[in-house]
Amino acid sequence: MFSEQAAPTAQGLLAPPAGEPPTFPRVAVGGYSDCSQPFQLGERSFSRQYAHIYAVRLAGMRPRLERRARGRWGDDIALRRLSELQEGEKCCVVGTLFKAMQLQPSILQEISEEHNLVPQPPLPKYIQPCDELMLEDELQRIKLEGAIDVQRLVTGTIVAVLGCEQDDGRFLVEDHCFADVPPPLPWSGPSSDRFVLLASGLGLGSVSGEALLSTQLLVDVVTGQLGAEGEQSCAAHITRVILAGNLLSQNTQSRDTINKAKYLTKKTQAASVEAVKMLDEILLQLCTSVPVDVMPGEFDPTNYTLPQQPLHRCMLPLASAYATLRLVTNPYQASLDGVRFLGTSGQNISDIFKYSSMDDYLEILEWTLLAGHISPTAPDTLGCYPFYKSDPFILTECPHVYFCGNAPRFQSKLLQGKEGQRVLLVTVPDFSATQTACLVNLRDLSCQPITFSSFGADSED
Amino acid sequence: MEQPRRITDSFPRRRRRGPGRPPGRLKGRKDKDKDKDKDKVQLKVRDCPRAASQPPPDPALMEMLRRFDLSWEYGPCAGITRLQRWERAQELGLSPPGPIRDALLEHRDNPDVTYRWVWDGMGW
Repeated sequence: MFSEQAAPTAQGLLAPPAGEPPTFPRVAVGGYSDCSQPFQLGERSFSRQYAHIYAVRLAGMRPRLERRARGRWGDDIALRRLSELQEGEKCCVVGTLFKAMQLQPSILQEISEEHNLVPQPPLPKYIQPCDELMLEDELQRIKLEGAIDVQRLVTGTIVAVLGCEQDDGRFLVEDHCFADVPPPLPWSGPSSDRFVLLASGLGLGSVSGEALLSTQLLVDVVTGQLGAEGEQSCAAHITRVILAGNLLSQNTQSRDTINKAKYLTKKTQAASVEAVKMLDEILLQLCTSVPVDVMPGEFDPTNYTLPQQPLHRCMLPLASAYATLRLVTNPYQASLDGVRFLGTSGQNISDIFKYSSMDDYLEILEWTLLAGHISPTAPDTLGCYPFYKSDPFILTECPHVYFCGNAPRFQSKLLQGKEGQRVLLVTVPDFSATQTACLVNLRDLSCQPITFSSFGADSED
Repeated sequence: MEQPRRITDSFPRRRRRGPGRPPGRLKGRKDKDKDKDKDKVQLKVRDCPRAASQPPPDPALMEMLRRFDLSWEYGPCAGITRLQRWERAQELGLSPPGPIRDALLEHRDNPDVTYRWVWDGMGW
């Protein structure tokens, strides 16, 4: 967007200042409505077990899966529960997957200090060839084998399998299917170019300040203080900025106060205090010019379990004076100008990455959309609030833009569904590592990266 | 002058069992014991959610509620009140029986009714 429209006016930078400098008013904010009420927790009670969330997940997704199974394998397919299985009868069963992984970190292994076992170090992937898949429904479970990719799938996915029970008690799978892309939402997007800037992983408070210049460049571009008239007129088309998590760096999470002696840590301040002050100043510059939605991430000062609640406004005193700042939950769902956005800060995708053979973040993002659930591994390996009434992570409607933050690199894909769904899948890269943000055009659901690189001390030219 | 009170008066009284009955908590007795206890001791008791004047719930009702707890179609019963479980089943379209809800709303202030049947470890 910036390069083709800005180039012709670049000469303007070398001209003497004009008497009346041109102004570019930012495009008016179209309709905005926040749809993340299911992710906002009111009173929280942790005295429940997680059996409820699995039960409602299965009960909630069962009708959709039964419809898909009938559509795929014929209307006369026998839908059975595990307790009604007959040996050798070809039937279809709907249930939750459970993957038994040998390397899965278990709290029981960690507390086995009496055996003098060193706890397992964190690994990038916990999959092994000997992992097994099991299908569970409300009452029983059965081991699966056959035409099902054990390495690729993760615990917590609701799946419909077609096959028959063997005499050794295992279920031989001939085919399986997921809930598929949810039903489409009507399209009422804008007719002119409107852009939304997606950025994640600002990583403030890290030891090295290299990314700070890039962050300042990003703020300057969005507020129109950078470049000639061409760039400024392009920046005026940005209607919103969404910061998808990890505003603070992982370095702010040091556990010095726990590990070190008290006399060493008494007068020191937590690293996150300084980082949040920096964040406040950056958000102040952005909020004076453009509406900003701030989502918390893995290293941000909010709760750990999904759904993460919004950052508290008392931490951002300067920026929260402006109504353009919106502190939102993770995952976040909103309707901007008729275009439905849904996204997370990336914890769900990186957790699936650890327990599945899928390597590509975009592939995992697409798979979660096809499985009909934002984060199937919660609560097994990803912390989750013990919901009991309904599972808010089930995808009931297809968003127009589905993004995840803190990915290793930028990728995007426009997915076409069978019922006319059009979804733009975007993996927003980590800004502190890649200095790249994404611009999504709401008119035609296209996405382009924008990189703010600077010449560091160790670059060649 | 009232009867001399003993320290053991604050303990719940248990009925003697008949011979041949297995040891364990006698269902339904607990309500009557609590009532008797209140008459004897005139200490300032904590405000019991169930007033002494209300009759104890019908054993048939308790049996129906227990069967509702243990039916697997409506999901797990631990950790949530029966009314929450009934409403969840309703929303998921599992059509739980209506009389259960009426009974739960009628005895809203009785903790034996609102919460699930607790297994206290003593079998019968």
